[in-house]
Amino acid sequence: MIEVRNLSKHFSHEGRRIAALDDVSLQVAAGEIYGIIGRSGAGKSTLIRCLNLLERPDSGTVTLGEQELTALPEAELQLRRQRIGMVFQHFNLLRSRTVGGNVRFPLELAGTLSPAQMDARVDELLQLVGLADHKDKRPSQLSGGQKQRVGIARALANHPDLLLCDEATSALDPETTDSILALLADINRQLNLTIVLITHDMRVIRQLCDHVSVMDHGKVVEKGSVLDVFLQPQHAVTRSLLAETGFGQGERVEAWRARIGVPLLKLTFVGEPTLSPVLDKVGRETGLRVNLLSGTLSEIRDTPCGQLLVGVVASDVELPALPEIFAREGVRCEVLA
Amino acid sequence: MSGFDPSLLLTVDWPEIGTATLDTLTMLGVSLLFTIVFGLPLGVLLYISAPGQLRARPRLYAVLSFLVNVLRSLPFVILLIVLIPLTLLLVGTSIGVAGAIVPLVVGAIPFFGRLVENVLREIDRGVIEASQSMGAKLPQIVFKVLLPEAMPGLIGAATVTAVALVGYTAMSGVIGGGGLGDLAIRYGYQRFQTEVMIVTVALLLVLVQALQTAGDALVRRCRFG
Repeated sequence: MIEVRNLSKHFSHEGRRIAALDDVSLQVAAGEIYGIIGRSGAGKSTLIRCLNLLERPDSGTVTLGEQELTALPEAELQLRRQRIGMVFQHFNLLRSRTVGGNVRFPLELAGTLSPAQMDARVDELLQLVGLADHKDKRPSQLSGGQKQRVGIARALANHPDLLLCDEATSALDPETTDSILALLADINRQLNLTIVLITHDMRVIRQLCDHVSVMDHGKVVEKGSVLDVFLQPQHAVTRSLLAETGFGQGERVEAWRARIGVPLLKLTFVGEPTLSPVLDKVGRETGLRVNLLSGTLSEIRDTPCGQLLVGVVASDVELPALPEIFAREGVRCEVLA
Repeated sequence: MSGFDPSLLLTVDWPEIGTATLDTLTMLGVSLLFTIVFGLPLGVLLYISAPGQLRARPRLYAVLSFLVNVLRSLPFVILLIVLIPLTLLLVGTSIGVAGAIVPLVVGAIPFFGRLVENVLREIDRGVIEASQSMGAKLPQIVFKVLLPEAMPGLIGAATVTAVALVGYTAMSGVIGGGGLGDLAIRYGYQRFQTEVMIVTVALLLVLVQALQTAGDALVRRCRFG
């Protein structure tokens, strides 16, 4: 669906050249939700702006379906952009228009519908985002979450095949964030709409995304399925971003080992085993007794999963045999002796 | 002001005051209209051609900006005289109310244009970026985003310009332009008829007050939400 190849972009700042994007490549499949995460200044904002060419890369290509956007003349690009929705952190609604007027705006720009058809489409979109009763209000009369719903309705107006979300929930409180994420997941499912989002919040990735790229200093340092990245993070930046979620805490192992002085096991559960009493079963079969040190049980998108760090207090079998035994129960076990 | 006798007000030539008021209103109305007609596009052009803006044309912007500065730095009295040939060409006379309108407009366009540029710069870049992301063409951005979003500021700019024009009209007496300001200078200052000065200044004050109040009311009506 989207193919980004070797994108680079530099900015000059106080005489120095700074690489906002450094040879970034990624692919997004049709119908998936793709997350790009990084700290501020990592280049993710520049990257998402390069996907609809609000920002022109210095080099590299962006291909959408069969169409290479980076090769399109301005007029054709404008036409194509009508079907690439974008949602913004600060909503960017027109203050001079009502809620309905804001949703109608992209329809007016496209100019393909009659006024009556536009009105009907506006009603339909407001229904979809749950704001049918607020059509005649001004954006200033809405809460942040409601404003973002208007932003989403507006982005969907011309039946886009791609939706870009630029920190769409970063200005919202946690509860409102959840409702907006649920709405985006809903839209993705209902309309089979491909979504690319950037965020600095791993929670957003965990709840919403299928695949993720982790960015740091203009580079993609890690990418993969969200499950893999959460459960087996490879890069230090990824691990530090995961810190608040409880996943991927490799660096704490040393501290625990020093404190309790027994061999450690890292157990990773994905799907069904998360919900069954695996530890209890293995314990009875092998005499394994463990001390629970840290861990998390959670859901990634809709898959239950978890990761536990345990200290081995006693065991009837040799430690190297344990991974095999846990594997039979569908649990990944790493011995950190 | 010592020894001013209020009964002198009875001796004021009221019909002449009436004519002068009408002249001022005519000069103001016509020149404000033309100032907006030419100054609004100038302001938009300044805004979009500035470096880093929607259609950055740094050389065009530098030339326009320089011309605006030149016209704004000329004292209006000088402009009145310098523009006499142009005024003759455009309206056939360089004196009276008609003769005053050309220099008033020429003097006010760069003033208003610069105000418009500044008002447009206050618009949130994010809103412009959002409309670009939806595929808006430049004219659509100007007419559907910039001007509507800036409307309260633009009305404010027009109000300030109108008040400035009232001040300019006072100087039009130099070319026989007439109006209240001219009356105040000729009778009140040159002939020491303080009562005429008081009446004209009072009328000018009322006019400026009325303009400002009307402008503020309009801004309030179109402010969003």
